[in-house]
Amino acid sequence: MPARPLNRVCYVEDDEDIQRIVRMSLERVGKMTVEVVGDPTAAIDAMTKFKPDLVMLDWMMPVLDGPALFRQMKTRPETSALPVVFITAKAGQRDLDELVSLGAAGTISKPFSPKDLPEQLRAIWAKLP
Amino acid sequence: MNAPLADSATEVRNRADPRQVLADRVAQLYRQMPIAIVATFVAGGIATYELTGRFLTDLVKIWWAIVVVFTVAASALLLAYRRSGDKVGTAHQWLRWLAITALGNGASWGLAGGVFFRSLTDEQQVFLAFLFAGMASVGVPVYAASWPIFALYAAGILAPFFYILATYGNRLFIEIALLVPLFYAINVAIAYRLTQVFDSGYRLRHAYGRLTEDYSVLNQRLQGQLVELGEARRQVEASGRKLTLFAERSPIVVLELTADGTVTQVNHAAEILFGYAADELAGASVKRLVRPEYHADFDRQWAEMVATRQPATGLKIRTPRRDGIDLVCEWTVTPLVNAEGSLIAVIAQGRDITAQLEADRMKKEFTSTLSHELRTPLTSIIGSLQLVNSGVLGDVDKEVLDLTQVAERNGQRLLDLINDILDIEKIESGKLTLSPESIHIDELVRESMVLNKGFGDRFKVRFEFAGGSGWAVNADRKRMLQVMTNLLSNAAKFSPEGGAVEVTIGETGPNLKVAVHDRGPGIPENFRHRIFGRFTQADSATTRQKGGTGLGLAICKRLIEMMDGRIGFDDRAGGGTTFWFELPRQKV
Repeated sequence: MPARPLNRVCYVEDDEDIQRIVRMSLERVGKMTVEVVGDPTAAIDAMTKFKPDLVMLDWMMPVLDGPALFRQMKTRPETSALPVVFITAKAGQRDLDELVSLGAAGTISKPFSPKDLPEQLRAIWAKLP
Repeated sequence: MNAPLADSATEVRNRADPRQVLADRVAQLYRQMPIAIVATFVAGGIATYELTGRFLTDLVKIWWAIVVVFTVAASALLLAYRRSGDKVGTAHQWLRWLAITALGNGASWGLAGGVFFRSLTDEQQVFLAFLFAGMASVGVPVYAASWPIFALYAAGILAPFFYILATYGNRLFIEIALLVPLFYAINVAIAYRLTQVFDSGYRLRHAYGRLTEDYSVLNQRLQGQLVELGEARRQVEASGRKLTLFAERSPIVVLELTADGTVTQVNHAAEILFGYAADELAGASVKRLVRPEYHADFDRQWAEMVATRQPATGLKIRTPRRDGIDLVCEWTVTPLVNAEGSLIAVIAQGRDITAQLEADRMKKEFTSTLSHELRTPLTSIIGSLQLVNSGVLGDVDKEVLDLTQVAERNGQRLLDLINDILDIEKIESGKLTLSPESIHIDELVRESMVLNKGFGDRFKVRFEFAGGSGWAVNADRKRMLQVMTNLLSNAAKFSPEGGAVEVTIGETGPNLKVAVHDRGPGIPENFRHRIFGRFTQADSATTRQKGGTGLGLAICKRLIEMMDGRIGFDDRAGGGTTFWFELPRQKV
């Protein structure tokens, strides 16, 4: 369990409505600081600036999807160590398991409950080394 | 060589029916009777004429009368014989009558000798002796078919004559008398020999008759077998034609191949599907119909099939059509092995599944789209409403809140329906995979009750856990929670307000049984048999009142069965229903 509590979260998501809900959920319910990135190709730069505790990636995004972005992050020293949680409506259990085995910290499936989302993230955070 | 031939002749003779042979001999005797009758009558007439008027006239007349009576009697016997029906069965009887007649005939001549001889002149005596010798000789051909009858007949003539001559007191006559038995013996011997010749002849005739009969029976049987063979050949030809027709008109591809994979025959469907004419494919390797990059795989599978002689099914092979477009066919390959165990041909039947694979791919894509494109907007809808309804954004007007709660609830219902449809689709297409782990059943039940507490509150129903156990099951945690959620929410929906839903854990044999008991109205009779079917609810009004998709129990049943368990329900004593499932238990 990391020494400090989960506070800064960066969320990469192309759907503006969901961006807004997640931001409200994490800020209002979870009392966290949130950076939302709508363009996945700009995500690594944003993360480098924002320095999040944890990154949430949407799976299905145009141009660069979540898993591809995740692999890019792994190649960059400034983002390779960041814990990543996937949030997706699509994948089957096997795909999620595969991501976890590749090094993802956890997965959250859509639709999620905005009431419970901060709690779910903190539970994943608590299991990190 | 002679001995076996003789043996076989004897054997042939012995095959004759003895009754038939006797009947033939009797018939021969009766055929000769007219000679005896005529000879007796004529010779008797001459003798009577010669002797009449000299002496003993009355006696001569009596003797003539005897000859006439004999002639009439013998003729009557002959007539009776000729008219008789069954000459084989009664042959013995006819032979006996003939013997009596022959003896009478002979004795009548003997009588003439005994009575008249001494009174005759020398010339007359010579005449009579000559007559006796002649009559005795006539008997040889007449009675040749039965030497004992001849012996009786000749004895009848010669015995009295012998006696007269022997006692005449004349040396010459005594010498003649001594010649009579010799003469008699020679004639009987000749008759005996003739009888044997007749007998053997008749036996041979019958034996060969029977052989001919056997031969004709054999011939008939052969003829019958020839007819059967012809019929069998026609049937084989007919099934051959039928088979050819089946292959030729079949909508699936049929190829006949040799053991080394050379095509020998193709049907019309193959020509149409692959775009090659039959004689372009025949004689070439079947690998022309396999994409080159799969040749190695093909060779391996073919070698295995040829080695094991086992048919193979469901082989999917990608084939380049003549115009270069790829097809995928599913093949059933059957080696034809003859009685000696050698491979004589290989029959390959193929079905074009290109369109089916495309349809499967599209279905998968559709399911994926349904999953993503419907759930993403629902995430926004339900998420927004949840944030509003939770109060974190501040107080909301009561009436607005009522409506946003309705919207959230129905959004959730829509989401449940989508999830259930996706689940049942995954289960039925065999794509649902379980991740079994050892689960402590007490913990699972408690967790499910906590998760569904909110749902229970909505219907003002409590969940109560009545007793636990130290058992575990090997099951998929997420899917087990899904099953429990279904059973608990069903129970809550149908329980009276303020009631309790009890959950118990028990054991039945090697299984662990989890039961959810409610005090609801029970399951209507007409609904019981289809309660685990798809899209089933007792009545459609229920859906509107209580929510639910009608897929929940169908999914539960399939999930529990995938985990080697079973699911069911019973009426609960005192009213209500108990839904239960059983899973093989593990000791923790």
